[in-house]
Amino acid sequence: MFKVMFKPLLKNRKFLIGFSVFLFFLVLGLFGPIFYRVDPTEMTWNHEKPPSREHPLGTDTYGRDILAQLIHGIRSSLYIGFLSAIISLTIGTFVGTFSAVKRGVVDETLMAITNIVLTTPSILVAILIASYMRVRNVEMVALILGLFQWPWFARAIRAQLMSVMSREYVYLSVMAGYSDLRLIFEDLIPTIATYAFMSFVLFINGGIMGEASLSLIGLGPTQGISLGIMLQWAVLMEAVRRGLWWWFVPPGVSIVAITASLLVISTAMDEVFNPRLREE
Amino acid sequence: MRLVVRNLSKTFSMGFFSRRHVEAVRDVSFEVKGGEIVSLVGESGSGKTTTAKMILRLLPPTRGEILFEGKDVWRDLKEREELREFRRKMHAVFQDPFASYNPFYPVERTLWQAIELLGEDLSKQDKLNLIKESLLRVGLDPKDVLGKYPHQLSGGQKQRIMIARCWILKPLFIVADEPTSMIDASSRGGIIKLLEEMREENGTSIMFITHDLGLAYYVSDRIFVMKDGRIVEEGSPDEIVLSPKHEYTKTLVSSIPKLYKRMEDLV
Amino acid sequence: MVEPLLKVEGVRAYYKLGRVFVRAVDGVSFEVNEGEVLGVVGESGCGKSTLSNVLMMNLRKPLVLVEGRVLFKMGNGFLEISSLGREEVKKRLWGKEMAVIPQSAMNALMPTIKVRKYVEHLAESHNIPKEEILEKIRIRFQEVGLDPVWLERYPFEFSGGMRQRAVIAIATLLNPQLLIADEPTSALDVVNQKIFLKVLMQMKKRGIVKSIVFITHDIATLRQMADRMVVMYAGKVVEVSPLEEMLRKPLHPYTKGLLDSVLTPEPEVKDRGITTIPGAPPNLIDPPTGCRFHPRCTYAMKVCREKEPALVEVEKGRKVACFLFTEEIA
Repeated sequence: MFKVMFKPLLKNRKFLIGFSVFLFFLVLGLFGPIFYRVDPTEMTWNHEKPPSREHPLGTDTYGRDILAQLIHGIRSSLYIGFLSAIISLTIGTFVGTFSAVKRGVVDETLMAITNIVLTTPSILVAILIASYMRVRNVEMVALILGLFQWPWFARAIRAQLMSVMSREYVYLSVMAGYSDLRLIFEDLIPTIATYAFMSFVLFINGGIMGEASLSLIGLGPTQGISLGIMLQWAVLMEAVRRGLWWWFVPPGVSIVAITASLLVISTAMDEVFNPRLREE
Repeated sequence: MRLVVRNLSKTFSMGFFSRRHVEAVRDVSFEVKGGEIVSLVGESGSGKTTTAKMILRLLPPTRGEILFEGKDVWRDLKEREELREFRRKMHAVFQDPFASYNPFYPVERTLWQAIELLGEDLSKQDKLNLIKESLLRVGLDPKDVLGKYPHQLSGGQKQRIMIARCWILKPLFIVADEPTSMIDASSRGGIIKLLEEMREENGTSIMFITHDLGLAYYVSDRIFVMKDGRIVEEGSPDEIVLSPKHEYTKTLVSSIPKLYKRMEDLV
Repeated sequence: MVEPLLKVEGVRAYYKLGRVFVRAVDGVSFEVNEGEVLGVVGESGCGKSTLSNVLMMNLRKPLVLVEGRVLFKMGNGFLEISSLGREEVKKRLWGKEMAVIPQSAMNALMPTIKVRKYVEHLAESHNIPKEEILEKIRIRFQEVGLDPVWLERYPFEFSGGMRQRAVIAIATLLNPQLLIADEPTSALDVVNQKIFLKVLMQMKKRGIVKSIVFITHDIATLRQMADRMVVMYAGKVVEVSPLEEMLRKPLHPYTKGLLDSVLTPEPEVKDRGITTIPGAPPNLIDPPTGCRFHPRCTYAMKVCREKEPALVEVEKGRKVACFLFTEEIA
């Protein structure tokens, strides 16, 4: 089944382009630190130097190597993206599925919660939570972001499953004595698999963007480094005004390239999995 | 009496703040004997499918009772084993052969489900043999069917597999919801024959849910005509078709194009 | 003497899908005579809907006309409409000479455009004064049993039966000679079906349209109105016969099978019983050799597998494509 699902994807040019860009950054983040063994936090006297042989992307105000920062930043930004996406996907799938299957009071309660989270300005709450915690590691930031991304997904899943629930094959499984749980795993989850996969890509995107916005206003991770934090430092030191392009351009380009590639991937998947959008 | 339906009603509520009520089924009562074939005839929106779902224990009724083999299907089936027993004895064939199969699984999944529901202690080989036997029984070659996905088979073949599922279960009661309306005319007769044979061999009662009075007239011992959630007329096929009493039945019968008689009031 | 209004000669129309062809209409010839109702019957996937597009020359990719001619009577001669492009036929013939009532009027009418707009659009494209045509549609609406105030409504407000009647009123507004109805009743309940058939027959009786081609899978509906029948199977015409004679004595084994599978609420049907044609209709990408019906035919002979039977006249006015008849003649 998976072969049938993913084969047309590999023929889609948009998907291939988006995926190669994303793969490039993924490899850079995963293996970069292994090959480029420079400590991103080590301060040297070579401060604010443009790219040179010693520092391929130059250094910042404290003489730290930008390339090392970038590689580690990509790594933790992707990590935050994946982690928050997994959290969002789990909550969203759980809420959406149970709403659709149990209906009645369960449905109304879960949907009420969903709507509350959906209408709460998430960045404000994230600011509140983040400012309460003195020490924030990347996992915490991912958790904060993950807790606020799921509502639209839960609602979409619920709507989809509601229509699946009135298909005959679901009735036939019920008539074969299936329990709710078994019905969910065997009949319902597979039908939302492609949609969930697409949403997962968008969640990663949301996580990376969310981290960058939180970091820019100084509420990102207090430990470690990320693309957002690099930008924050650059902003703090007025790198833009002072023309230190090697400092803010690489993280900026990376964020744009990663998020754009993810958006392209999800649009391509939408085209492939959703026949109505498919180009003739 | 195998199935007794008394004062069955279903009201759907819609809207969140201003609740609107739609009475899909109103005060429906009828009985079905063992080995009897009956038809519930009505147009879309007449409440016939809602009635079927309530009998199949897929949709709870608002009022009324459904007694199957003396037990109220919505109140008396408390234990898990009681419910499984009910599922074994009451089964269904649905209208849409495409929607009857989960596209993610090979078609024989539906037969494995039936065998599992039977709950008999058989070896895997015996179970496979039973599946093959059931397919042969409904006129399909196991080679053409096993391992295939739903989109690889025709509507007629898929509907036959549904009957194979019933054949494995040998239920006391089958609800056949428009089983022939989405397959080609030339394959329709075969499906009807197979269902009739189920009655002959096992004394199964069958209830056709259909908009097609022609089908109902051909297969049934008794016909119930439904309109706007009520049963407006009930009788033998000849009574309903040749001397209808209710205004609606009269209009219905006179509107259906016949093969051996031309409508006189058309031109 | 009956005069043909439309002639179809050896038409092949295929859907081109990548490297393969779906042979939906494959070597079809027949005429539509003036003043008749011609029924085209066949099961789903036999090419009958494609045929309606071919008759209208409504050819859009991937459907292409591979071979054959379609001729339409214009004045004293015949116009070869198959040599004109779709746009040309649309401009010169659609609405004025030939019109179609599609299967589902829901798709024919945009739900958010007022019905009156459609009529005005029709006036524009044929250079007819708006007022004149609006007056005409008001009368036509009353004739089909619709209040003219419905002209100011949106299609989604219409019930299925009303929508189908609105479509027939608009389609026949310019008194086309030929009306093609492609499964027009399949989405309606029986009561509305009958009303629709009545309206259709009225159109013909009052001379608004000359001939009707009624395409359907439902023989019992055709029984009520058709004069002659064209039976299609797997992209081919297998029998052309006057309706009454076909009912009395079907020639082609497929026609017989089709008739015997009809279930109508009649005692005759109960006495006759119901039969099934074994197997399923073939795939039109790779149809069987010889006679396309031979794998399902109980009378199949050796020759049926090898040669393709031609459609030949075996009785007066009756044509059949089957070796059971032609071999005897030969």
